[in-house]
Amino acid sequence: MAISRRRFLQGAAGGGALLIASRLPDAGATMSRELPPHAVGILYDATLCVGCKSCMVSCKKENSVPGGALYRQGRSEPPFESSLPGGNMWDAPRELTGKTLNIIKVYKNGSAQVKDREKDGYAFFKQQCLHCISPACASVCPAGAFRKDADTGAVIYLANRCIGCRYCQLACPFGVPRYEWDSAWPEVRKCQLCEHRLKEGKYSACAEVCPTGATIFGKVTDLRAEGKRRLALKPGEPYLYPLNRVDSKEKTLRPASRYVKQLYGLEEAGGTQNLLLSGISFDLLGFRENIARFDLPSLTWAYIAKIPWVFLGVFLGGTAIYKVTHRNDREGKP
Amino acid sequence: MKTHDTVPVTTGLGKVSRRDFLKFCTVVAVGMGLPVTAGARIAQAITSPKRPPVIWLSFQECTGCVESLLRSNHPTLEQLILDHISLDYSETLSAAAGHQAEAAKASSISANKGKFILVVDGAIPTKDNGIYCKIAGKTALQILKETAPSAGAIVAMGSCASWGGIAAAGSNPTGAKGIPEILGNGQVVTIPGCPPNPYNLLSTILFYLTFHKLPELDGQGRPKFAYSRLIHENCERRPHFDAGRFAQQFGDEVHRSGGCLYKLGCKGPETYANCPSVLFGETGAGTWPVGIGHPCFGCTEKGVGFNEPLHQMAQLKDLTPPVFFSEAFPNKEGVSPGISSLATGSAGLVVGAAGVALLTGLGKDKFRDKDNGKHDRSSHDKEV
Amino acid sequence: MIDTSKYLGPRFGGVVNRLLDDSHSEYLGIRLVTPFTLLLAALIGIAAVVGCYRLWFGIGAASNLNDLWPWGLWISFDVLGGVAMAAGGFLIAAAVYILNWKKYKCIARASILNAFFGYLLAAMSICLDIGRSFVIWHPLVMWQVNSIMFIVAIHVVLYTSTLGTESSPMLFEKLGWTGALDKVNRCMVGIVLFGVLLSLLHQSSLGAVYLIAPGKLSPIWYGHYLPYMFLVSAIMMGISMVSFETILTGKVFNHQVPMEVIEGLSRGIVITGVLYFCMKAGHIASGIGFGAVFDGSLLGNLWLIEMAVGVVLPVGLLAFGQVRRDPQRVFAADIMVILGVLLNRLNVGIFGVSEYATRSGGDYFPSAMEFLLTVGMIAFAILGFKLCAKYLNLFPTHH
Repeated sequence: MAISRRRFLQGAAGGGALLIASRLPDAGATMSRELPPHAVGILYDATLCVGCKSCMVSCKKENSVPGGALYRQGRSEPPFESSLPGGNMWDAPRELTGKTLNIIKVYKNGSAQVKDREKDGYAFFKQQCLHCISPACASVCPAGAFRKDADTGAVIYLANRCIGCRYCQLACPFGVPRYEWDSAWPEVRKCQLCEHRLKEGKYSACAEVCPTGATIFGKVTDLRAEGKRRLALKPGEPYLYPLNRVDSKEKTLRPASRYVKQLYGLEEAGGTQNLLLSGISFDLLGFRENIARFDLPSLTWAYIAKIPWVFLGVFLGGTAIYKVTHRNDREGKP
Repeated sequence: MKTHDTVPVTTGLGKVSRRDFLKFCTVVAVGMGLPVTAGARIAQAITSPKRPPVIWLSFQECTGCVESLLRSNHPTLEQLILDHISLDYSETLSAAAGHQAEAAKASSISANKGKFILVVDGAIPTKDNGIYCKIAGKTALQILKETAPSAGAIVAMGSCASWGGIAAAGSNPTGAKGIPEILGNGQVVTIPGCPPNPYNLLSTILFYLTFHKLPELDGQGRPKFAYSRLIHENCERRPHFDAGRFAQQFGDEVHRSGGCLYKLGCKGPETYANCPSVLFGETGAGTWPVGIGHPCFGCTEKGVGFNEPLHQMAQLKDLTPPVFFSEAFPNKEGVSPGISSLATGSAGLVVGAAGVALLTGLGKDKFRDKDNGKHDRSSHDKEV
Repeated sequence: MIDTSKYLGPRFGGVVNRLLDDSHSEYLGIRLVTPFTLLLAALIGIAAVVGCYRLWFGIGAASNLNDLWPWGLWISFDVLGGVAMAAGGFLIAAAVYILNWKKYKCIARASILNAFFGYLLAAMSICLDIGRSFVIWHPLVMWQVNSIMFIVAIHVVLYTSTLGTESSPMLFEKLGWTGALDKVNRCMVGIVLFGVLLSLLHQSSLGAVYLIAPGKLSPIWYGHYLPYMFLVSAIMMGISMVSFETILTGKVFNHQVPMEVIEGLSRGIVITGVLYFCMKAGHIASGIGFGAVFDGSLLGNLWLIEMAVGVVLPVGLLAFGQVRRDPQRVFAADIMVILGVLLNRLNVGIFGVSEYATRSGGDYFPSAMEFLLTVGMIAFAILGFKLCAKYLNLFPTHH
């Protein structure tokens, strides 16, 4: 019944080896709080949006090709919401789903007459992955099926790693990742910033087709500067809004909108690469007030960092207790 | 009976049968949003022996407005000016010319004081006392100011007459202004458009003849029956807008297959007019600018047409968001029904089971004796 | 008894014969074919069909889970609840092998086996709950140490095998494989220590799973101490489970354990219960305040029920020595603790996130298949335990 000292040390050494093998330090480093060197993102200005949904159309089309975020082997056409025959005639998603990565929704109040007004007004609004600087989905995935691109910072999904546990759905503070519930071999779907197009030298499909400049693509630093510039404008002041890209030469002149004085994504969830501007309170658009203003992975990291000490404590404490409590047994034995 | 019936009508209406004529009146009535029975009253007003006198003044204009009127088929021009109205003066259409024409105008004005309808097309130059447009030695400004006080109703035909139009665009070298601006924004009906739809004019005139008042007007003097809806709202290409299918450039695949022209600068979303429902030229469906593939340029809207760059994208005005948009955030309070029933059920089960356990446990029990006198086995554990 | 060596050959048949030999447990009076076991078998059968349906048609077809309710009954009840129920295994193992508290030796095997079934239940449920069941091994080779779920996965695998190893002497004994038995026994302390470590981490990390969702889980439950509350409540529930099962086997299997053991377990419940109460009360007091739980809202009431049924009443009862000496009353208190902690797991897993999901327009009520699978899992654990009691030497002292 007794454990030999040698055997115990063997066990302890095994535990230590396990600890080292877990590469704790460098894994912590993957959850960087800094913007990647060439971080790109999208600035969505809800006051410019006319609700035309062309971004949704283009998103679905461009992501259904090999490499795209909606691609599935053996599927030749974009996945439409309706599974009925002829369901691809008219696609009007109501929610982000496993088939829709990007959706324009509307806020309506009362008679819904004036755009970007909270009372008796309406506002369009775009929902998609915000590409957190420190993404909760990537930090919680047990198999590392989400990876933040070291260069562009796009949060990318790797289907061949995913086990389908849906922890990412629970963890995402914005409720973005969606699951293919109707599939027996489901994947998680979310915007990947058209990573496959970035590789080809193109940019996000939604920004490419946005007619009004509501969705513009660019370097995060430029987008932040642009967003702050817009917030500093007086309502009605003429401003040249760039189209498609933040550094575009094509611009449209229009009076500056009345903005809520907040560039969403600067500090929410520790900062995101996609930024949002709106004419009405973000709370009404589903971006809740109680969102954490720090990187969420740090919450679990505080717990995980204690694990080595538990290892140490249990093995040392356990051995000590064992020695003390079995002292008499051992003495009694031959 | 048949011959007896048609003779007086033919006398009054030329070659139009009574049936066709009534149909026209009804169509006009419906076009203005009037009840069908109003068609009969319109017919009566038109066929009354004294045809309504109309004086048509043309100033800084291109004759497009008149040309547009010439292309109306219901009724045709000759029916209109010979049978329905009495066009007493028009520079383009008058058979008379020169002093003869001016004399006809003067006699008509004095004869029909307070009854005639004054239609004006073209802007009025005001710079340098209006010397940039003169007819019979008088400036446009003088002619208008002479004629207007005697008119029963004044209709500004076309964008130029309505607010200056192309004549007032850009640097506006002649100081061109619209009729309402010169006469004071009183009872001038404006029928903007470049050219305006002839039926909007016709309908306005017939309304006035029938009811002896002007149709309901909006803030800019436009009849509401024609100008109360955005082009965007009735546009045949609207579904493509809602589905996000935009022509990116002229002749691309989406453009050729009839996609939305918004990105090409269509001003439909900020322009009020009935173009998509009334169409032009009466050659069938789709015969209006957007229908044939060119973006609307906003000619009926002051500050849009001749003002905004042709291919600059429009700003959406007072648009009710479509119903099939999903709500941004349902923001429902409390707990959803499925979950609250699950919660209530689980809580009930827990409380119930605990209650039963508590009652049976604290009540009289039959097992208690069993444990008494059990021997202690822990001392002779062998091994595990 | 049938001699299977006639059909299976002397070598294999002999092994089967020894496995089927239940002479040592005849005194327990376990009958295999009863209406109850038939019902259990039927439930397991139904659950097996449901499981196959789920694997073939996907989660969406079998459950009411949706994008706003990614986790439901399977995770909250089977996994969170099942694992908490299994906490007794490591506690008794530690008490017997590390602390050398010999009086608990008589229930050690049963507790460890019970824990084994608890974990098996959790593992099977996870396996069916994840969408890509056949690559469940991915976390074991694709490490992602930032993830609590990775830690949970590693622990489930390691601890289930640890529990299997801890239970293996029973089987080796039965088969007469003395060499293997000796080997396992010799490193038992190391294994137990490893099991204690894994359990401490695992029980708390199930709470830590929710640390990432501060905006979603209601502040009534969310807090930085959630993992530790999970651990303490799991210990409390684990002890209650052992006590419950000891008394229950005493009732139905004609097997009695000394009152001393039950009393000791009850004392353990009181100690952990008081600690847990202080943590919970402290959490509410230092966080959103007691107003939030006494305001009559659904979530507040759930918290109150969870605390009243799971902590206040049973601990209050067990605080009296008279109650602790009465197995019938201890039994009632055990049931209450188990119910209360199970409700706590449902609260954290389902009801606590309901306000967030409702605001986003989500709703969830488990489908019939979800219920059937869960019920089948429980039936599997009960029947499995019963079979082990019949064919394995679960209560070694009677030899």
